[in-house]
Amino acid sequence: MITIALPKGRLGDKVYNLFAKIGYDCSEIYDDNRKLVFENTENGVRYLLVKPSDVAVYVYHGAADLGIAGKDILDESGLSLYELLDLKLGRCDMCVASHNDYKEDLSRPIRVATKFPNIAKKHYMSFNREIEIIKLNGSIEIAPLVGLSDVIVDIVETGTTLKENNLKVIERFLPISARLIANRASYTFKKDEIDRLCDNLQTVLEEK
Amino acid sequence: MQNFINSLPLEDRLPLELSRLYEQFGYQKYCMSKFEEYGFYSDNRDFLSTDGIIAFNNSAGRLMALKPDITLSIVKNARTLPGAEARYYYNENVYRITDDTHDCKEIKQCGVELLGDIDSHSTAEIVLLALNSLAKIDNEFNLIISHIGFVSAALADAGIMGERRKKILGFIKRKNRHDLLNWCRLSGIEDSIVERLLKISSINGRLDEVLPALNELVTDEKTLAAYNELYDLCKAIKDNDYFKNLVFDLSVLNHLDYYNGILLQGYVKNSPSPVLSGGRYDSLAKKIRGKGGALGFALYLDGLNLYYPNKNEFDCDVLIIANQSDANLFKILADFENTGKKVMIAHKNELNIKAKQIMYYDNGNLTKE
Repeated sequence: MITIALPKGRLGDKVYNLFAKIGYDCSEIYDDNRKLVFENTENGVRYLLVKPSDVAVYVYHGAADLGIAGKDILDESGLSLYELLDLKLGRCDMCVASHNDYKEDLSRPIRVATKFPNIAKKHYMSFNREIEIIKLNGSIEIAPLVGLSDVIVDIVETGTTLKENNLKVIERFLPISARLIANRASYTFKKDEIDRLCDNLQTVLEEK
Repeated sequence: MQNFINSLPLEDRLPLELSRLYEQFGYQKYCMSKFEEYGFYSDNRDFLSTDGIIAFNNSAGRLMALKPDITLSIVKNARTLPGAEARYYYNENVYRITDDTHDCKEIKQCGVELLGDIDSHSTAEIVLLALNSLAKIDNEFNLIISHIGFVSAALADAGIMGERRKKILGFIKRKNRHDLLNWCRLSGIEDSIVERLLKISSINGRLDEVLPALNELVTDEKTLAAYNELYDLCKAIKDNDYFKNLVFDLSVLNHLDYYNGILLQGYVKNSPSPVLSGGRYDSLAKKIRGKGGALGFALYLDGLNLYYPNKNEFDCDVLIIANQSDANLFKILADFENTGKKVMIAHKNELNIKAKQIMYYDNGNLTKE
């Protein structure tokens, strides 16, 4: 039995369809109910539907063998996991953005508003720029508009929200996509099955 | 006595069983103080697996540390005769500040250290001890073995150092071949090196099965020495019952400032994180002792009771519900003690004690339920 943590929402649905194509289907998942655990003993698979930002935690602690998580969540968590496959879904970029007429003041630290403090720190540390982090949990785009921060570090897909709020992308520094992750212990004990699953997923992705 | 030991929770039982195992292999117990001068750890910070040292001033004003690591103390303080190997085992607690919550934590560790001239026999001995140690926890276990030599050679040949080296090692550790490939291409790294790195990150299997693939990675004297070390190890232990539990995987690349050859990481079925970590650390031995090599491993006992709960469904063998306590009751208790049974006395069974047998003591008479 292999346990897979799926992110709730659109990405989870897309990924489930990929798994179903390679023989890990569990039709019960389409039932209209509030269940969060679905199991198909015949196919030897159990799905956990969890909040996208919690997928890596479930996998790290061994509650799930595998999971699907965005590169942003993985890098922010810093958890020690295997990152076996790039599913090339949910593509976007981690960006630095600010007000359209923003000009950096090099004489002082930059105030950075973000949901991803670890990624932001690592990025600015790579060129030794001093920053002050303002941790927010949503609507990050408002921060530079009301003077709360100089810039934001956030994921940008189409850039529409930025445009509508008079913001512009200053730098794209980390490409993001959904990754298949594995718990290290699970991989050592279920290596053959996990490798087979990865090969089959890779084939389906290439066919697409 | 054995029944009593078997009834103990794993975290209490394991140190006893491991002590017996290590003594059988001729290892001497090494006891140490909980404290060491802070300066010793700060001078050797590169060799510590943690940055979180708990420091305090003693009454003489000297800055002391609660020991965050055992190996450093053993390497510093162990006495060895010239040309001889020193074998030590320990059963100690270390004290660290956790990375995530920044809390002080006491961590139980057992382990072995072999100091001196390390040869193929000593390597095989340590690997066998690691395999046997994991088998004491669970029949289903895997000991992952890796060797830093192959990765170091590939990176050195390409002149990759510093941050770039760190980045590539990060990809290999995470088995992240897609980003490794993309990043190397964007960084203009030669195709032959990229191919070698991708091969390194994909080698995984039983030691005897991966030797041909490792042979293809031999490019110079250093990689040849690494290959020969693994070949000799395979030859020495392949008839052992636990050989099937030894898995070679070059993505295990932990504490690279500390280890310089073979690396070990152990997993047991119920635990989601490694319970054993170790390897060859000649550079630390040379820095502190000026000569010789060193090899060892530590087992992390904390949390094992969570993953391996004690399945003893009874609190005791016999529960005596006694109305009064007198000399005769204590004599009865002593008689039970001689049979090796666990006996509890209560006035009433208010605590819902689960006993295999309940007896009643009243007016000097003991009666069954």
